[in-house]
Amino acid sequence: MASEFELSRNITIGQYVPTDSFIHRLDPRIKLLVFTILVLAIALNTSYLGNALGLLLAIYLFWASKIPISYGLSGIKPAIPFIIILAVLQLIFQGNVFSGGTVFFEYGFILITSESIRLVIVSAVRFVEIILLSSVLTLSTSTTDLTHAIQSLLSPLKKIKFPVHEISLIITIAIRFVPTFAIEMEKMMKAQASRGADFGSGEWWRIIQRTKDMLPIIIPLFNIALSRAEDLILAMESRCYTPGNDRSSYSVYQSIGRDYIVLVIGLLISALLLFYHFPF
Amino acid sequence: MKPIIALENVSFSYKINENNSVSVLKDISFSIFPGEYVAIIGHNGSGKSTLSKHLNGLLTPGSGDVWVHGYNTKDDSKKLDIRRGVGMVFQHPDNQIVATIVEEDVAFGLENIGVPRAEMKQRIDEALEVVKMSEFRKRPPHHLSGGQKQRVAIAGVLAMRPDCIVFDESTSMLDTFGRNEVLQVMRQMNEMGMTIITVTHRMSEAAEADRIIVVEDGKIVMDGNPREIFKHKEMLMQLQLDIPAVSQMAEMVHNKIPTFSKELIHEDELINEVNRVSKARS
Repeated sequence: MASEFELSRNITIGQYVPTDSFIHRLDPRIKLLVFTILVLAIALNTSYLGNALGLLLAIYLFWASKIPISYGLSGIKPAIPFIIILAVLQLIFQGNVFSGGTVFFEYGFILITSESIRLVIVSAVRFVEIILLSSVLTLSTSTTDLTHAIQSLLSPLKKIKFPVHEISLIITIAIRFVPTFAIEMEKMMKAQASRGADFGSGEWWRIIQRTKDMLPIIIPLFNIALSRAEDLILAMESRCYTPGNDRSSYSVYQSIGRDYIVLVIGLLISALLLFYHFPF
Repeated sequence: MKPIIALENVSFSYKINENNSVSVLKDISFSIFPGEYVAIIGHNGSGKSTLSKHLNGLLTPGSGDVWVHGYNTKDDSKKLDIRRGVGMVFQHPDNQIVATIVEEDVAFGLENIGVPRAEMKQRIDEALEVVKMSEFRKRPPHHLSGGQKQRVAIAGVLAMRPDCIVFDESTSMLDTFGRNEVLQVMRQMNEMGMTIITVTHRMSEAAEADRIIVVEDGKIVMDGNPREIFKHKEMLMQLQLDIPAVSQMAEMVHNKIPTFSKELIHEDELINEVNRVSKARS
């Protein structure tokens, strides 16, 4: 019972496992870039072999970053219902779109072929790979490094007047306030529960009821968020923040040899996944 | 000596709607001089917080002028110079930390004013050293206590090298321990030559200052050194204010033992007086 109020303990955003491995020490910009390209390449690969390769790579990266794979698996757990629903839907409805290969089963509009089965299996595995890969990225990179990486990767967009600095500041502040609001929400849930409110005792499939239960929490939370935002604006303004001004930057990253090697390897694997015609 | 901050006939009102507004500050004038330690006191709603927001141009007066280092706060082009000169630490420890890591937060103000990186590092080291938070520089702020967060906020202001820092009820959300940490830093900075303005409703904190300005209903009703101000117990009571616990205690003893001075405001004075009187009597 007590655990349902302990929100701040269950936050996974920004969960950083400092094992100081080789992966941890990579230049975060390169890391983010390589991971993004890899995820894209995996998302576009439709072969069994290619995805098996991707899965192996993801597991290897966990090993290389010395992070227990259980962290990655706990990320997959909440996604399992989605993976199953997706698989069922694809199995039933996608047969006519991917109608190549041998036909296994046909009844009315339902058509199951070897191609549609491939689609189902590959997309499930792909889901797992992408979750694992993004877990390695976030578990081995601090949020600060990550936002700086986003900022510097987006910085070419400054040329077309895209507010790169502002966006990265927004991300930083959002991440910064996640634990604060979790604690706030915890307090509010306890306060409401002590006055007889009932949270989370409804069955999980009664989504509407459970959403209604949350309203007395969500609305005051918005209220608090807005008043905090007002305070924050004053504090930022009195520290000379002027939107659109040129700012200097405290964190500077320097790519070294191994970063470039990782970049090249990452690009090669991505190219392999994208362009090589896997036999299987 | 030229004042750091000078207020001349400042009035300010909040607009409620088209026709109505609430007048918060009424014709306030005073000056703050370099190196002073000033406490602004007043009960809730007396206008002291609104007043403090005028000191670095977060609010500009409806009529009258505020001069900071000779710049008028109404002059938008000087806004950054004014805020570099007068830093501000706010009430809520959580609502003034921007970054996800302590040193990055201290860097925030420096990044805003475009300090080069090499100098930034040195300034951050110094600022964290003054508030004794150097060992926490890589920590995320939500793992810190209230007093520690408030000290990080002070470091963030200090790194910009202002010559005056305004504390807007900065200790009111803290426990005794956190409050003492912050007060100690304030005193230490004042000894280093920093001008300190603290807005508070705790009389023991006001007693630390060299000068107290009492605000009531948007006007200054008293301005003087703590010893003079706390002599006027009845008047302070009328203003829904109090005198420090030390003064109360001294008065109680004075009523029993007339030789015991009642004009005490600091703890060590109380101890000395007890020693003096007990030696004289034995």
